[in-house]
Amino acid sequence: MADNMRKITPLALDTPSHEMVTDLIVSYAHAMDDGQIDLWPRFFTASALYHITTRENHDQGLPIGIIRCSGRGMMADRVKAFHTANIFEPHCYNHMIGPAVIGAGKSAGAVSSRCNFQIVRIMEDGRMDLFATGKYLDEIVLEAGVARLQERIVVLDSRNVDILIVLPL
Amino acid sequence: MLATTHPTETDHEPFKWPLEGVTRAPYRLFTDPEIYAQEQQRIFRGRAWNYLGLEVEIPNPGDYKTTTVGETPVIVTRDRDGTVHAMVNRCAHKGALVCLKKKDNVPSLTCVYHSWNYELDGRLKGVAFRNGLRGQGGMPDDFDVSKHRLQPLKVETFCGMIFGSFAEDMEDVETYLGPDMAPFIRRNLGRPLRILGTHSQTIHNNWKLYAENLRDSYHATLLHTFYTTFKVNRLDMDGGIILSDKKWHHISFARRANLTEAAEYKDSNVHSASYDSALEGPGLLQAWDEFDDGITHSIQTIFPNMCVQFTLNSLAIRFFAPRGVDKTELFWIYLGYERDSEEQSQMRIMQSNLTGAAGLVSLEDGCINEFVQRGTRADPQCASFMEMGGRKVESEKSSRATETSVRGFWHGYREIMGF
Repeated sequence: MADNMRKITPLALDTPSHEMVTDLIVSYAHAMDDGQIDLWPRFFTASALYHITTRENHDQGLPIGIIRCSGRGMMADRVKAFHTANIFEPHCYNHMIGPAVIGAGKSAGAVSSRCNFQIVRIMEDGRMDLFATGKYLDEIVLEAGVARLQERIVVLDSRNVDILIVLPL
Repeated sequence: MLATTHPTETDHEPFKWPLEGVTRAPYRLFTDPEIYAQEQQRIFRGRAWNYLGLEVEIPNPGDYKTTTVGETPVIVTRDRDGTVHAMVNRCAHKGALVCLKKKDNVPSLTCVYHSWNYELDGRLKGVAFRNGLRGQGGMPDDFDVSKHRLQPLKVETFCGMIFGSFAEDMEDVETYLGPDMAPFIRRNLGRPLRILGTHSQTIHNNWKLYAENLRDSYHATLLHTFYTTFKVNRLDMDGGIILSDKKWHHISFARRANLTEAAEYKDSNVHSASYDSALEGPGLLQAWDEFDDGITHSIQTIFPNMCVQFTLNSLAIRFFAPRGVDKTELFWIYLGYERDSEEQSQMRIMQSNLTGAAGLVSLEDGCINEFVQRGTRADPQCASFMEMGGRKVESEKSSRATETSVRGFWHGYREIMGF
C-alpha cells in the first residue's frame, strides 16, 4: 500500500529525525509511567488528534473507539477530569515499546511512525496485569525545533478493556 | 447422603428475601453460585426476551453472529429468505461449538469436529460417513436427520433489535416491553441504524449490580461529577422515572427545564443545545435538538441485561453479559442513523467520549460495582438499604432522587426467580 511508497521516499529536511521520533515516543511512555499526566498534552500539537480504538473498529473503518481528543484543549479537559472529577482505584502503568518503523508522513513536514506497545497495569495492592497491547500509529511534526505528535492512533488488539481507562495509553 | 462434608458447608440455608421486601437486596444475591445457576434457568432460559444483537449486524443471507444468552452460547443467522433465526451454538452430535467466529457469512453451518452440517435455521442437513466407508460402519438404518437439529430459540425483531427466548410460548416483544416502554424504543431506534463503533469492558461484579447501577438515578450527580466540575450549564434539571407495567424495565429521563428557551435556541442555529461550560475543548458537547419532546438525556433498561442510552446525541446500546457470578462483560454499541448528515455524525462521534470504558461522565461505573462486590462478599447475610424516594415501586415523573427503579428491578427479579 501507500505505506511502502512512503518508506522509500527520502525524508525532507524539515521533518523530525529518527532519533527525535524515538525520543518522543519513549519520553511520552516514561512520562505516563511516572504519573506525569499533566505533561501529556505537551507531547501533541495544538490541533492534534489522539484516538484510542480497537483493532476491530480500526479495521472496519468505524469512527467511534474508546477516546477521541480533537485538539490539545480536549486533552487538557481529560487531565483536569482525571484530577478533579473521575473516581477510580489508584494505579500506574509500565509501557514496553517495540522498535518503530519510521517513514514519510501523511502531510508535508510530518513523518509516520508505527510501533508496538504492551502496558502492564500495577494496582496499589501490588497486583500486576497485562492491561493493553497494540500499536501506536503516529504522525509527528517539528514545532520550533521540537518533535510533537500531530496524530496518535492507539489501536488496541483486544476489543475488551479491563475495568476502565483513565490514564492515557 | 451421609453427612461427610465439613460442618460449615452443610449449613447453607435456603435463600429467603427479607421481610422489608424490595427495599433490601441481600448481598448473597451477588456471590452465591447456586443462585447464579438458578438465574440461568429461570431468567436467561426462562420467560424473558434476551437481546441478541442488531439486524444491521447480519444484513445479508448467510450472515451469522455469535453471542451469549446468560452463559449459553448462541448463533444468530440470516436465512436466504431474510428470516432471522437463533439457536444454541452446540452441535447435536457431541456438543461442540458449531460457529467459532464473532461474525461470518456461510452457505450452511458445519461443526468442525465431525462435519455435521446444518441449514441456516439449525435443521440438520447431513452427517459425514452416514453410510459408512466401503460398506463398513455408518449410522444405524433408523437414523433420521429430521430427529436432530440445533436447539432453536424463539426469535423476534423490534426496531432493528433481535431478541431471543427459550420460552416457546413467550408473549411478543412489544407486550413484554409494555405500553410505556415500546413507544420510547420506537423514538430512539425506530429508523435505519448505523453502527459507529463498539468495544467491551470487563467489570468485576455480578451482573445484577450493573442492572441496579443503570436504574440508580440517585447516584448520577454524586458519583459522576464531570458536568459539575466543568460547570456545564445543562438546562435540563427537570426529569423523572417511568417504570414499565411489570416494573422491571424503566426509563430515566432529563428534560430541558424551559421549553420556551429551547424554542428560541431552535430558531437561532442547529447547535441549539450547545452547552456553556468551562471546557477547554467545548467541541465535546456540541449537540443538536433531535426530538421535539425536550428530552436531552435518557437511559432505558430492558430486563434482564440491556439498555438504550441517549445522552445528548450519543445513542448506544449497552449489553451486559454474565461471565461468572462475579464477572460481567459490558458491551458498548454506538449507533447513528442512516439519515445522519456528516455534521451530525461528527457530533455523535465526539459525544462518545462521555460514556464507555473511558467515558468522561461515567467511567466510574467501571469500578463502582466492583467496590460493592468486594465490600459485600464477606457478608452474604447482610443486605443493601434502598429507601430513597420512599418504599414504593412506581413511576416518579418529577424527580430522579429516588431508587424506585432499582426497587422495580428487584420486584421483577423476585417474580421471575420465585424468591
